[in-house]
Amino acid sequence: MHSYLFQFAQVHHEFRLPELSSIAELHGFPLSLLPQPEHRDPTRPFMIIGLEDEEHARILARRCILIKSVFVFYGQGFNYDELHAANQTHQGEWSRFAHDTSFRFLVTAYNHKIPQTRQREVIESFSYMGFLGKIDLKNPDIILTCFEEYDDCRGTTRERHEGDGHFRQVFFGRLLEEGSARLLIAKFDVKKRNYYGNTSMESEISLLMANQTLAAPGKLLYDPFMGTGSMAYPTAHFGAMVFGSDIDGRQMRGKEKIPGVIRAATQYGVASRILGLSTFDVTRNPWRCGELFDAIVTDPPYGVRAGAKRLGRKKELTPTQRDLDDQPYIPPTRPYELSHLAADLVILARYLLKPGGRLVFFLPTVTEEYEEVDVSTMICEGMDVIANSLQDFGSWGRRASRHFPFCTLWRINFFE
Amino acid sequence: MVRLITHNLLACHVKGCTSNNFPLEFKDAKLELREAEYNSEFIRGFLPKIEWKALVDTARQLGDTSLPLEQPEMLDDEFLKNLHHVLLEIHIEEGSMICPNCKHDYPISNGIPNMLLAEHEIG
Repeated sequence: MHSYLFQFAQVHHEFRLPELSSIAELHGFPLSLLPQPEHRDPTRPFMIIGLEDEEHARILARRCILIKSVFVFYGQGFNYDELHAANQTHQGEWSRFAHDTSFRFLVTAYNHKIPQTRQREVIESFSYMGFLGKIDLKNPDIILTCFEEYDDCRGTTRERHEGDGHFRQVFFGRLLEEGSARLLIAKFDVKKRNYYGNTSMESEISLLMANQTLAAPGKLLYDPFMGTGSMAYPTAHFGAMVFGSDIDGRQMRGKEKIPGVIRAATQYGVASRILGLSTFDVTRNPWRCGELFDAIVTDPPYGVRAGAKRLGRKKELTPTQRDLDDQPYIPPTRPYELSHLAADLVILARYLLKPGGRLVFFLPTVTEEYEEVDVSTMICEGMDVIANSLQDFGSWGRRASRHFPFCTLWRINFFE
Repeated sequence: MVRLITHNLLACHVKGCTSNNFPLEFKDAKLELREAEYNSEFIRGFLPKIEWKALVDTARQLGDTSLPLEQPEMLDDEFLKNLHHVLLEIHIEEGSMICPNCKHDYPISNGIPNMLLAEHEIG
């Protein structure tokens, strides 16, 4: 095992570990975290992760949406003495660059700006490494980076550079690769999409959910609440084939002749990976058999604007109403309670997923405090919860109650 | 874009219609051929799920005779490519699918089949 220093975007903390472990599982390599709690805290920007191979670190950097950059880890400490001591134990990893490799040395901080004079002092304190190669700021062979991590002091008034040097922790390493998957957030930006609706899922969350499905070439995925297809595009981008159904075909079609979902998929170059679309109520579905899909990924409808519907009538018709011939016939629908929908989805997934398949869905909770109990009431034999990730929307709506939509990840058991 | 892979997975689901409800029969089918990326792993993985007779019969009705009547035991490249073509590259854009048993008509419009049931057809 080698240690790598990961720098993460400071958003959607709860998705960080599920995303990392999903991509490691997809590519079949182990990933280990350090045992100390400060190295497992997803609210902090740095994490040291043990991997068997440099290539594994690169795979993560190219696929995980939350990774900003990956470094070969040389040392960390609560002060510079500790950092330098740790760095010297990694001499075997950097001594080969000392002789004639061109390099750039960066000293930077998270939640702080280090004055230039101290930046220089820090660089000089590494002089024992004996780097003799050319200093090249534009095209160096290697980039060495020293990060100081400070507490978040947003909202407080302070002098410029106040508290300089009072960092929580300092990290040092050699840049291996910049995370490239974050660029997908802009690529899949809903505002730039050819077809979207007023409840289309934001691109970063849909990408994070797509990664949890283990989407890859050769896989078959299903979205039973397809809507405008927000979940389908990122999963198809990662190579999977996606089938979508919705009780309301108008969501998938839009107003033009070519269905909106196909137009957006064409924009992303994945139209041929939309396996098919169909209008039906997933609770009355026409699937001939089960164990069809590698994953089910969906953002079920909820809320005031787009509550879920299922087939059926709210009230029975009077005989005169029944005699009226409404052409073309549009089957009536009735509201679909969210708690029922979520429980039905888990049971449906157990039937439709292949062994080891995954169910990833978004579910709003309306309680003040988020409780895992909500999920446990939906557990049925054969399905396990692997992860719950919260997305804090803050206060929502007129009442003071807070809505916490969260993404939940389920896996079907191998043994039933 | 009802592809034959989808057609092979959908059965009539009207209340009480439980036998002879598969495969649905195409009526007035308007075909389109569209190239799809070939992934032999996907085709191999999907093979155990296929109702072979239903697939071959439907493909023949639509004028494609590249598949053998019996599913071969040896999966050579040519066979997989033919199967890829039949499953993924033949699209039915317009027309309908009729249940051989209860005659329910599932219309296809712009490649999206409407599999919704009327209120008297749900259990």
